[in-house]
Amino acid sequence: MKVKLLTTVLVLCFFLSVPAVASAHGAKISCETKKAIEITATYDSGEPLSGGQVTIYAPDDPSTPWRKAKCDENGKYIFIPDPSKPGTWDIQVRQAGHGDMIHIPVGEDMTVGASGSTGYTPLQIILMGACVVWGFIGTALFFSVRRGR
Amino acid sequence: MHIPDGILPASVCLGGYVTAGAATWYSLRKIGRKEDPREGVPKASLLTAAFFVASWIHIPVPPASVHLVLNGLLGVVLGYYAFPAVLIGLFFQAVMFQHGGLSTLGVNATIMGIPALLAYYLFQLRNVVSKNNRVATTVFGFLAGAGGMGIGVFAAMVLLVTTVPAHVDAAAERASIYALTFAHIPLMVLEGVFTALVVLFLQRVKPDMLGENDKTSA
Repeated sequence: MKVKLLTTVLVLCFFLSVPAVASAHGAKISCETKKAIEITATYDSGEPLSGGQVTIYAPDDPSTPWRKAKCDENGKYIFIPDPSKPGTWDIQVRQAGHGDMIHIPVGEDMTVGASGSTGYTPLQIILMGACVVWGFIGTALFFSVRRGR
Repeated sequence: MHIPDGILPASVCLGGYVTAGAATWYSLRKIGRKEDPREGVPKASLLTAAFFVASWIHIPVPPASVHLVLNGLLGVVLGYYAFPAVLIGLFFQAVMFQHGGLSTLGVNATIMGIPALLAYYLFQLRNVVSKNNRVATTVFGFLAGAGGMGIGVFAAMVLLVTTVPAHVDAAAERASIYALTFAHIPLMVLEGVFTALVVLFLQRVKPDMLGENDKTSA
């Protein structure tokens, strides 16, 4: 009886001492730092193009989309350009017939140059608008005076 | 409603310039036949300024924001001067603020300028009833203001829906175009009411601005 019990305990100990191999269910996360480009698409009024369709064209083939995606609810989209394709990346965002295209120069060392967007401050916009409106008023006054003579 | 660069195919942009060129030629020909073609320039210039500024007045209607256009009002008050006024206003909007685009200037002028001329013809129908009838002026002023914008929005919708490029999710794009088109309905009513108020005011204080005394040379 004692021998039987000892044998059972030994067998049990043997199985428990074998290390469980769990490689089939394992997971591994690695990380590395990369330079990404974040774009923000908004309407003229400042509202985001939430869900706007993003089309990215790589420098080596500006006619075939390199990637197609959608902006998030804040009109933002992040992508990592292919390091093997330095040059000007064209990104178009479109929604309901509205949209714009931005041209981003990316160097071989992944440095991002200044994009072609023209962002005016509100003061500049007001000043420019006032100049144009004054031009129209001046035209009206000019022709009014000629008529009066 | 201002279609920017890069949205429409080149053939459509070119077609837009052809129709805009034809409409400009027709309008200038009609203006040239007036007894004094310069007579309408001051009011055309002032209303071009109003058209230029109107696009800054945004009204938030999801999924985008819509803005005043005033093409119906321009048509009613300016008549044949409306198309050149729209064209010049759009040019400055595109050049100064990238609102619209230079490649789509012809298309935008067509979808906003030709409805302005149609609004003018529609408003002239009030003469069938009576020139000085306030009710007729109000009704036709509203119809011209709302119709001018409505026709323009419809034309833009048809253009955009039929030219969705292959690389874009067509169903999503069309759904958002339809949504944006419907978002213009309150604005149509607003522009109709605004146009009706303006023409009523002009009829009371300066009826000759509504083309009451239009003369054409033989």
